[in-house]
Amino acid sequence: MSQSGAESGTRRFKLPEETSVVIALVVLIGIVGALRPTFLKPTNLLNLAASYAIAALLAGCIVFLLSMGEIDLSFGWILNLSAVLAGLSMIAGLPIWLGVLIGIFAGTVMGALNGALMVFMRLPLIIITLGTASVFQGVSLISNNSGSVVPTDERITQHIFFRALGGSIDTPVPIILIFVVLCFVGLHLLLHKTRFGYRILAIGSNPEAARLAGIPTKKIKIQVCALMGAVSGIGGVLFLGFRGAVDPSTGGQMLLPVVAAAIIGGTPLSGGAGTVWGSLVGAMIVGVIGVGVVFIGIDAVWGTLVTGLVILFAIGVDQIVRVRKRKAS
Amino acid sequence: MKIKSSKTRWGALALAGVMAISVAGVASPAQAAKKKITIGFVVHVVGNPFIQQIIDAAKMAAKDLGVTIKVTGPAGAEGDAQLTAVQNMAAAGVDGIATSVPSASMVNGLNAIIKSGIPIVQFNGLGEGVNAPYVGEKSVESGRILGKMVLDKIGGSGAKGKVIVGNCYPGFPVLENRQAGVLESLKKAAGVQVVGPSDVKVDAAANFAAWQGLLAANSDALAMVGLCAPDVESIGKVTKAASNTKVIGGGYDLTAGNLEALANGSAHISLGQTPFIQGYAPVYILVDSIRKGIKINKPSFLNSGTEIVTATSVTEPFKLPALTFKNLQAMATSKTKTRKYYEPVVKGYIKDWKKNLKPVSDESA
Repeated sequence: MSQSGAESGTRRFKLPEETSVVIALVVLIGIVGALRPTFLKPTNLLNLAASYAIAALLAGCIVFLLSMGEIDLSFGWILNLSAVLAGLSMIAGLPIWLGVLIGIFAGTVMGALNGALMVFMRLPLIIITLGTASVFQGVSLISNNSGSVVPTDERITQHIFFRALGGSIDTPVPIILIFVVLCFVGLHLLLHKTRFGYRILAIGSNPEAARLAGIPTKKIKIQVCALMGAVSGIGGVLFLGFRGAVDPSTGGQMLLPVVAAAIIGGTPLSGGAGTVWGSLVGAMIVGVIGVGVVFIGIDAVWGTLVTGLVILFAIGVDQIVRVRKRKAS
Repeated sequence: MKIKSSKTRWGALALAGVMAISVAGVASPAQAAKKKITIGFVVHVVGNPFIQQIIDAAKMAAKDLGVTIKVTGPAGAEGDAQLTAVQNMAAAGVDGIATSVPSASMVNGLNAIIKSGIPIVQFNGLGEGVNAPYVGEKSVESGRILGKMVLDKIGGSGAKGKVIVGNCYPGFPVLENRQAGVLESLKKAAGVQVVGPSDVKVDAAANFAAWQGLLAANSDALAMVGLCAPDVESIGKVTKAASNTKVIGGGYDLTAGNLEALANGSAHISLGQTPFIQGYAPVYILVDSIRKGIKINKPSFLNSGTEIVTATSVTEPFKLPALTFKNLQAMATSKTKTRKYYEPVVKGYIKDWKKNLKPVSDESA
């Protein structure tokens, strides 16, 4: 029997799963913008996005781990050590692009180490990275002698890498933002359009079933951890170019906002699903909350409470829309 | 979008209520419309008693000068988060910004803000290369004073034994300078063996645990010297818990907890860096320079002075009136008493800030 005319003529348009969190972001921007119209200036919004771009990039990658039912506590220190090694290489006289590659490679190796330890010790990644976080931080402190790494040589500071990321070259959209969005395109395609991505989601849904289905779960886990390390390394060199220096504490406080961005964006902690674009929106929500608190003039003492309440609000709006969508379908 | 389900409707209303509570303390648009100088005040950590003393002083300055002050800062000390907070202040349209600069990675961003025309004054943590005045102590010199006072208490140049040194934030330039000053003074006794400097953490609980571990590992130590606000209190609690009455405890800042440790004899020396001046002066300099059109986009240094406190004596800088230890304890918990005490400094040293600015190299001399 053919389908009824009504059904075949009017296919229901399925909204992307990130719709709910985008609505939450728009509502938040609207509220802050209504209270302080200067917030809506395009320069402000772009600068806000640029400030949170690196955290957003890390959130986009941690979706891979969360989808697999794992979490990495060391990525902030991988970012730090990658930036330190890149910076020290450049200061030592190596070509800038080689320093950049060294930083990214170091991040990849650290991530792969996390993965290898997880697989061979048969422990969850969260436990492994409880230890490796301190190891990476320690190596960073030893490498930089507990001080900041600040390239001051004009050969470095006037290089296109630093000038482009640091904002010396005027562009309508900050270059770091363009780069991070391109990374997001790549991460989205990797998770949702490749066999690698499907395997990650399968492992997160049911690790035992995935193994029995012939998915090389150990290899995939190490690869995902290496990917997280590589992206953290990219984050590190981006930070070095963007800020022109890396401090002993850089990356140390990134865990909470990055994981929060991924979760607010719609990636469940339970694994089996994940949305890369959602984590970008989640990072922007975290950013809007941080900026909004300042724009509205909320005192520092109240700031933490307000931030928590607004995060609950954003999650609530997201949940309301999801429930409505589920009921409608 | 129609919300048909009543449950969902109630949920939405509850959420709207949450948002309403969140913005309840906000300045109304009417107030914003009345143009008043607005100063942004950005600290490197919120919830620290010493930093709160600085914030309180900044708010007193704003009240005295008839300006609005917006205070913000990251929950956990991280330079990038703090720079973002400063940039947010600039984007929000403040007329000037006072900020501590704990990280080198903030320097370029701050100079970009200064270049855009928003004046900045640094306090408490100096950013080398920032084109702005800095209000803080002479950090190496204060370290020398602390080191000498501790050494005098353990036998002077003939002292023999261990001295534990702790740094709560390795790499923080002001702390590294204090450390350099302390170690320089301790070196004058050939028999003194320095244990550390060890990372004793900023968080109060972690700081206590670190000092406890250090004393347990070095129970024969002659002295314990900290460089940060939580140290004296922790050292006092640790030596009291260990019933160790011999070890000399010294450190920084005159928080209520630190003064209590001095009062009960479990610690012996604490140096203050005059948080009142570190909070009041930056706001004063910003407002004065904005009102008079004075450019302040060059590095310079305004010394906030060093207070030297033991259980039996209090030495204040800038020829301030003599204080007893009890007065000092009372001031630590009373903003009114603090403001009244520093009136001569406000009317004199801070008012003449232009004359009192020195080259930034003086900070580490």
